[in-house]
Amino acid sequence: MSEKLFKNNSTYRFPEVEHSYAKPAEMDPERQKENIKDTIEGIINFTGTFGVNSDITSLHTQKTRQLFLEVEKNFWMVMILNIPTVTKVKDGASTVEYLEDDIQDKVYESVLRQTYLMYRLFWNTFQHTLDKDGLDALKTRLEQFYSAYLKTLKLAHADILNIFCGIQYLPLDKLTFLKVQCLINSLECDFPKILQTAFLYNDHLIWSGVEPSDMQILYQYLVGTLLPANLEVELQGGSMPRNSLSPFGALKHGRFITGPTNLKNAKTIGKALSASLCLFVNADTELTLDFFKDFDNYINSKLTSLVSEIAEYCSKQVSTPSNVVENAPKFIYFNKFNMAYKSTVHLDNKQSGNVAISSEQLKIIADLNSHTPTISESTETMVKTLNDYWVVAKTSNYREFYVVEQLKNAHLIDISKDIKSLCESELKGIFFQPL
Amino acid sequence: MSFLEVEPGAAGESLLLTTDTSQPFDDEQMSSSLEEIKRDGKPKETDESNNENISNVNNYDENSSPVQTDNEENELIQDKKWALMDKHIFVLSLAGKPIYSRFGNEDKLAWLFGVMQTLVSFIQSNEDDLLSISAAGVNFVFAIKKPLILVAVSRKQESVPQLQSQLNYIYNQIASILTTSKLIKIYEQRQNYDLRRLLSGVERLINHLLDFCESEPAFLLKAVQCLSLSSSVRGNISSAIISSCSKIKNIVFAILLANNKLITLVRMKKYSLHPSDLHLIFNLVQATESFKTGESWAPICLPRFDSSGFLYGYVSYLAEDCQACLLLLTVEREVFHTLAEAKQRIVEKLRRNNCLEAINDSLAKPDLSCVSSGFIEVRHYLYKAKSTAQFYQPSVSPPYNKYPQVLSNMYKRLHQRLHCPARPLKLFFERRATEAIFAWDTVGFELYIIFEPLVETSNVVAIITRLLNWMKEREDNLFHLHVPTF
Repeated sequence: MSEKLFKNNSTYRFPEVEHSYAKPAEMDPERQKENIKDTIEGIINFTGTFGVNSDITSLHTQKTRQLFLEVEKNFWMVMILNIPTVTKVKDGASTVEYLEDDIQDKVYESVLRQTYLMYRLFWNTFQHTLDKDGLDALKTRLEQFYSAYLKTLKLAHADILNIFCGIQYLPLDKLTFLKVQCLINSLECDFPKILQTAFLYNDHLIWSGVEPSDMQILYQYLVGTLLPANLEVELQGGSMPRNSLSPFGALKHGRFITGPTNLKNAKTIGKALSASLCLFVNADTELTLDFFKDFDNYINSKLTSLVSEIAEYCSKQVSTPSNVVENAPKFIYFNKFNMAYKSTVHLDNKQSGNVAISSEQLKIIADLNSHTPTISESTETMVKTLNDYWVVAKTSNYREFYVVEQLKNAHLIDISKDIKSLCESELKGIFFQPL
Repeated sequence: MSFLEVEPGAAGESLLLTTDTSQPFDDEQMSSSLEEIKRDGKPKETDESNNENISNVNNYDENSSPVQTDNEENELIQDKKWALMDKHIFVLSLAGKPIYSRFGNEDKLAWLFGVMQTLVSFIQSNEDDLLSISAAGVNFVFAIKKPLILVAVSRKQESVPQLQSQLNYIYNQIASILTTSKLIKIYEQRQNYDLRRLLSGVERLINHLLDFCESEPAFLLKAVQCLSLSSSVRGNISSAIISSCSKIKNIVFAILLANNKLITLVRMKKYSLHPSDLHLIFNLVQATESFKTGESWAPICLPRFDSSGFLYGYVSYLAEDCQACLLLLTVEREVFHTLAEAKQRIVEKLRRNNCLEAINDSLAKPDLSCVSSGFIEVRHYLYKAKSTAQFYQPSVSPPYNKYPQVLSNMYKRLHQRLHCPARPLKLFFERRATEAIFAWDTVGFELYIIFEPLVETSNVVAIITRLLNWMKEREDNLFHLHVPTF
């Protein structure tokens, strides 16, 4: 089957007022598809002439950025972004300037990859659908999935976190952590239908039995889409869960959300206080009302007491806000091995653009990430920006650590000392070989 | 930082035109200096020189056999070695006619030139312009400079702006043979014209220019390095040139260079030379062996100076026993003998003043390495004085003397990081297992240093201060700080 499928021709606009965005000439969708198909074929054949064989190709034109991603053999996903512009007035004549470097390839490449992986999480591969249900079914499915999914993408605020696509873990003391594990083990033992379990608290992962690469996407889905959506229903006063399968909506703390039944392994989530249990059962297994009742009886008391213990532990750990200095350096940490990230740059995890540093500094972090040849090596990079702020990147053994210093006009030596003490306080015992 | 006042090689007036380095590559702003100079001298019918060859254009006809496509074409596609070359450069006309390919025969690659032209015009049909493609670490860069399309395909660690700048140089190299106005005129008359007919011999220059671009930091920095000479010797040389040429009208530039380094440049008061034009002259001298065998007379167009017409160049090495090359550039077409006599006078004066000896001594003695000048933690560095568009580098020492490519790649990466067009940086310091590298862009200078990997951060600042002072003490030697004029 050599027919290529072109998906996700999304264009976007930034919200900033001072920017205006050129819109491509309106084209009818069929012609536009043809046009994209011709472009991609032309470009891929051309680069292929020089022995280039890559799943991702980035095309820069003056007005657009186009990313071609071969997600499966013979299936391409295309993302077309308009280059932001500024209009400059000089001697009465206004000229439009295209801000090419405002769009960072690696960031949007990651967004595009995730767009595919999210689809695959629910519907398996394109080829699978094509073989099983045919082209029209595939088209309908894609249309349905992406028309909803693309609305949740916050392209204007895509940044370094999209490159990481990481998970926030909740650090616990040994005893509490063992209690969590104990609960999960006995749960999986007593309910053999449950294949895997993941335990989250306040959008932070405590335990997951799922493959890390799957968990990575699943986590984005849970934190980005499923849990907030239900929270909103809750907030709007609708006490019934979205899926009225469960009669426990009126229960004090707990509720169930069942994930889409078409998920490879159907998934059910129980929620109590701020904790979420994510259960994986085989898609063929029928989940009856009785199952939910049994499960609820089983878990309710145990979970409530465990959660209050976790909450207590966490409240002790929260650093008293008084000792947080106004100009304290902001940092982002990422560990490629367990996909863990921590950021004091981002003030929430909703990718709402609510960040503690300027967008230029945030882009420099992504620049530093893209230009570091290998993250297995130990490196330390310090740069001073045009307006005299410092950004520092450290990599070692697949860990990455980025710091933005808020001190203006600081000296190289001061910054170097600051970073040393920051590593000492934040990353003690984690990884960094002294450089 | 306190040592900012020390700016070796800075001067109020510059020998060379200085460029704004924040521009990724500079275009346009060509002046029409030639007309002006000629009018100041004796009035003269001008356009003929530009037109003389154009009438011939129509005589070259397309009856030469069209491009043959044969089985070898397929062999070529199969030829992996060709496909995987480090860096390809292609030049074609807007109509897709092959003009230049760095590797392989253009005629056999005609189909590929067709593909490139199609890509460009396809994107243009959407009212847009194709800039670049990147995939798997390979950069494909397109420059549409009417009436030509230039394409670079690079596996080297060069950024898109760096490749654009190289394509710009190639365009200027072609313009320097034909002049831009003629280039445009040719294609106005015949869209399908095969430019290779007019460019025989230029391939050699372009090939050399490409190698040159890749290895010489001068291109990266948009600056020139001077031969180390004491300021009195350099002054003597300049005044020998000025006094020998004082009676000759309309000499615009007199340039003396040796071993890719500038010895002196004397210019007409009103006109200055852009470093990129000087780079083309360096390239011409380097790539032309025949200059060594005798005196030559060549029309040269300096695109940044005036892209519409030619200067005429008298080119000759000084003497058997001194391998410095003298160029006298004038707007007059028929003054070869006058200039040849002037050169004789210059050589005599230089010989009398022991200047030839001084040049030879400096050529024979390599620049100091970092270690021998007392900087044991420094492996190599580049320093550019922005106000004079000149740079200095010590001689390359271990571990890079056997791997110059490693060093130049490192500088390219550093330069790219510092001069990213949207987010330029003031300072960049990176430590890794193999070395510590430092780059600094200030108002007055750019400095790139490769340190030993274990250098202390607190020492770095002290070493830089020491290094700047070291250069400041020797700035009369290392830089050409005066501006001699006719």
